[in-house]
Amino acid sequence: MAGSSPVRHRQTPSRPSPVRSPNSSYRSEDRNGEMNHLEALLAAQVLHDDVRKRAYKTLADHEYEEEQKKRAEREKEIKDQQRREEERLRHEKKLRDEEERLRALQAQTVPKLPPKTAEQLAPQPKPSPQSTTVAPSNGDAAAATQPAAANPTPTPDTSSSGPAAQDPSRNPFQAEPPRANGHVSPAAPPNATSSPFARPATSQTANPFAAATAPEPAAQAPAQIQPTRPPAVPVVDDYVQIHRNLKKLRELMTEHAKSNPQLKKQMGEMRREIRKSLGQLTGGKGANKKQLESIKTILMSALRGQPSSPMTDPSSFVVGNREPVEGALNNEPQLPALFLYLMNQLGKAIINQFINECGASPRSADPVGVVTAQLFSAKEFLWRGQSLIDILMAKFRIVCPVVFGYRGSDKTNQGRLRLGWKKEGDAWISEQQHNDRMMGLGIGYASIALRDFSKSSNINPWPPSRYWKSMADIVNTPPDEMTDTQCIVLKSMLNQHEEKFINFYGSAAVAALRRALVEFPNSAPKKTPGVMGLQVLAVMCKRDMGLDLGL
Amino acid sequence: MSDLASRITAPEAAAPNQDMGDVETAQTDGAGMIGNGSGLQEVNYDVEVSLNELQRDSTNPLGSAHTFEELGLPGEVLQGLMAMQFQKPSKVQEKALPLMLANPPQNMIAQSQSGTGKTAAFVTTTLSRVDFSQPTQPQALILAPSRELARQIQGVVQTIGQFCASLVVAAAVPGAVARDTRIEASVVCGTPGTVMDLIRRRQFDVSQLKVLVIDEADNMLDQQGLGDQCARVKQMLPPTVQILLFSATFPDGVVKYAEKFAPNANQIKLKVQELTVRGISQMFMDCPDESQKYAILCQLYGLMQIGSSIIFVKTRESANEIMKRMVADGHKVTALHGAFEGGERDALIDEFRSGRTKVLITTNVLARGIDVSSVSMVINYDVPMKGPGEREPDPETYLHRIGRTGRFGRVGVSITFIYDKKSFDFLQQIAEKYQIDLIRLVPDDWDTTEKEVQRVIKSSRAQSGFNPSAK
Repeated sequence: MAGSSPVRHRQTPSRPSPVRSPNSSYRSEDRNGEMNHLEALLAAQVLHDDVRKRAYKTLADHEYEEEQKKRAEREKEIKDQQRREEERLRHEKKLRDEEERLRALQAQTVPKLPPKTAEQLAPQPKPSPQSTTVAPSNGDAAAATQPAAANPTPTPDTSSSGPAAQDPSRNPFQAEPPRANGHVSPAAPPNATSSPFARPATSQTANPFAAATAPEPAAQAPAQIQPTRPPAVPVVDDYVQIHRNLKKLRELMTEHAKSNPQLKKQMGEMRREIRKSLGQLTGGKGANKKQLESIKTILMSALRGQPSSPMTDPSSFVVGNREPVEGALNNEPQLPALFLYLMNQLGKAIINQFINECGASPRSADPVGVVTAQLFSAKEFLWRGQSLIDILMAKFRIVCPVVFGYRGSDKTNQGRLRLGWKKEGDAWISEQQHNDRMMGLGIGYASIALRDFSKSSNINPWPPSRYWKSMADIVNTPPDEMTDTQCIVLKSMLNQHEEKFINFYGSAAVAALRRALVEFPNSAPKKTPGVMGLQVLAVMCKRDMGLDLGL
Repeated sequence: MSDLASRITAPEAAAPNQDMGDVETAQTDGAGMIGNGSGLQEVNYDVEVSLNELQRDSTNPLGSAHTFEELGLPGEVLQGLMAMQFQKPSKVQEKALPLMLANPPQNMIAQSQSGTGKTAAFVTTTLSRVDFSQPTQPQALILAPSRELARQIQGVVQTIGQFCASLVVAAAVPGAVARDTRIEASVVCGTPGTVMDLIRRRQFDVSQLKVLVIDEADNMLDQQGLGDQCARVKQMLPPTVQILLFSATFPDGVVKYAEKFAPNANQIKLKVQELTVRGISQMFMDCPDESQKYAILCQLYGLMQIGSSIIFVKTRESANEIMKRMVADGHKVTALHGAFEGGERDALIDEFRSGRTKVLITTNVLARGIDVSSVSMVINYDVPMKGPGEREPDPETYLHRIGRTGRFGRVGVSITFIYDKKSFDFLQQIAEKYQIDLIRLVPDDWDTTEKEVQRVIKSSRAQSGFNPSAK
């Protein structure tokens, strides 16, 4: 075969085929010969290759350009975010300063009162409104001291086993809080600040860091426990108020639904769909996509006014004041009541799932936690740039006060109320049922609070610092006020979450675990099943993870 | 009886009592004991309504234990119980454990409701009797009617025994032990047929056996085949073996046989009326006709927060059909019925037990004993029937089925579907036998049904003295 001709043609691929070669001439004898066809074929191939090459190049160029563009955009986005964060930090700092001033003012009035009723009027600082987000230490410290300040009872710290009496450097919760994942944990030891009115320098006790090293027990009021005491003036914290407001919202919606059959029908269906979807959650990657989508669709539809419902101010359902934030999706002063109602139903469903399922099967808490974090951090469901998770936490505050630093005796009516012990009719639910609930709620809390948002563009609605704080509140309970409820919540908060906790806080977490699983139970005056449960967990840490907490 | 509130005397709490029901008041001041109001009186748990007096030799102290520590269990076993968050012995454990642990060992026949801690009771006893210095010498044998149950019990032994370093537990179920291997484990859980074969083939050395447990004993001793196998197994065991018979139900005929099977046994029994676990809210769904049952079924999951659920159906075909529908509705479902065998069945039940699926659709194979503690709803898609041609209602099966939920005092709901006069009558007969007040649900207005279900759950939990086992 005469293979020479194609070489020639390759140099002039654009030349029209009829003049390629003598053979191609229409006058040529061989114009229908095989040779001519082959030549034409080869030429076409060359042309084709060339076009293809050029197309590839164009594509590559385009892609490169796109990438450049994206990079620039991302850069801008990050810069914007940085700016916003900085602004927020400034804002928080300012707020915190205000807060401190407020507390100082409040505290000043305290010494004037007779000591016995002092706790009623004790400072009740509101948690920092910004503390739901990635909070700087200062911002969150305000929240951290809240239960402490709410617990100003002269602690009978005559025994040396009280945490405050211990060497502060040995107690991880009393040292300067460690940093995790960019958040600074609020670890104000309740005991260290437990008696603000006992000392004139009250502004000092407001500072957890100053308090952490201050010698406390000597300054505390006498260990005189009054068995009966006039009931405290109810100082309701924000979450309790939110919980009340939510109840009102529910009643309001039920009223509206009565006169609006369309709303009634859809409201019921949406509520049941959310409940069902949450009940369907299972472990395993991607297993809950459908459920998450279904809940999102419902919430989105309510947010868009489908079906229409009256508008309501969301600020009665969040802690602190919120101003419009540039670039946030929902900046309006009011949102559809149905949306808030359904967020409330979602919160309810989450809590019920923890109570009904996770006590019996702790494994099922994680998927619920994942979906909770996803929904409450989703940009489309933020209000003025912040999560509406306070709606959920208001419920948590009622059903499991222990994670918010509250405690009480399980042997008394008032104490049980304070522990979140449920009543059925007139009777307390059984101890086993109560414990079961607390187990589910403990692990549920951990499954929400120990989420890793480092790879997410959303803001963690309930960061690990909250977890640290809850843990600190529990383990700093004076030993003689410790109850099994606290032990059970603590254990189920830790069980199966040790690793995540350590991932966030490193060696500080190990020290905290040691405090929670070894020192705390060892200081207990009585080896109750709850206390033993903590000790067994320490044994299991060693056996299963090789984590020796020094038994 | 367990109306705790009525026992709480609050002499000094007159003023605080005003706002006793006010959670907010109590929770706002974070004080310790000071703010706790008046003391609860310690509840006297000795009051025992549900258990008959034990027929015992009066020379022996009739003990009952209020804490696990009092039982003098080996430390490792106690740790295992604590790790499982067992706080206190349940009623049946409180009464049965001291008797079973006493020396010299005595036989026991115990009847107690579903989900009241029977398994933990006999597993604790078993582990306390094992000499862990001989880990490969069989010392305890636990028999169950099905491979699922045997494996489940094996799991419980392993969990409670997790701190017993040299504990070896073997399952003697069909296909689990190869022909030429010996059982080298201290505790053996199995089904009677397989165990019988293994002993005969000398793969299972029973010479050092100290404990024989028969779970679901009524079923085991009653059924022709199983009963014979149990008797033969027993004949091959040392005469000194301690025999423990456990079940949720013990029909009179079986009790006689049980007494022969386990001579001189201590007995713990409940009265018939107290057999149903009152913590389970029992309802029925009045379906307009059979064809609408599917659609109604799917709606149930929106009415309350469900963990896992079990749906009992009559035929494999409907099991498969319901599965298809429910999967389409977003549920993760396992269908388990007679078409599956051996390892396949194990895998399916594990899928459900581990929580990878949350709905189990099954025919009768699983009515008994299977404990998945997060099951919060049981649906009788068909009324359970028995007898030739399945022409009469089957109350025992109904009881065992609904006993799959409400375990250990948890909230449980059971809903039975009826769709015509016949099915209604059958259910009525079952309800009459146990004197259950079944609540009627109608699928017309789901808002109303939802409210009704929530009300029923609340009120049945509030019943004083519900589920005597759970304190």
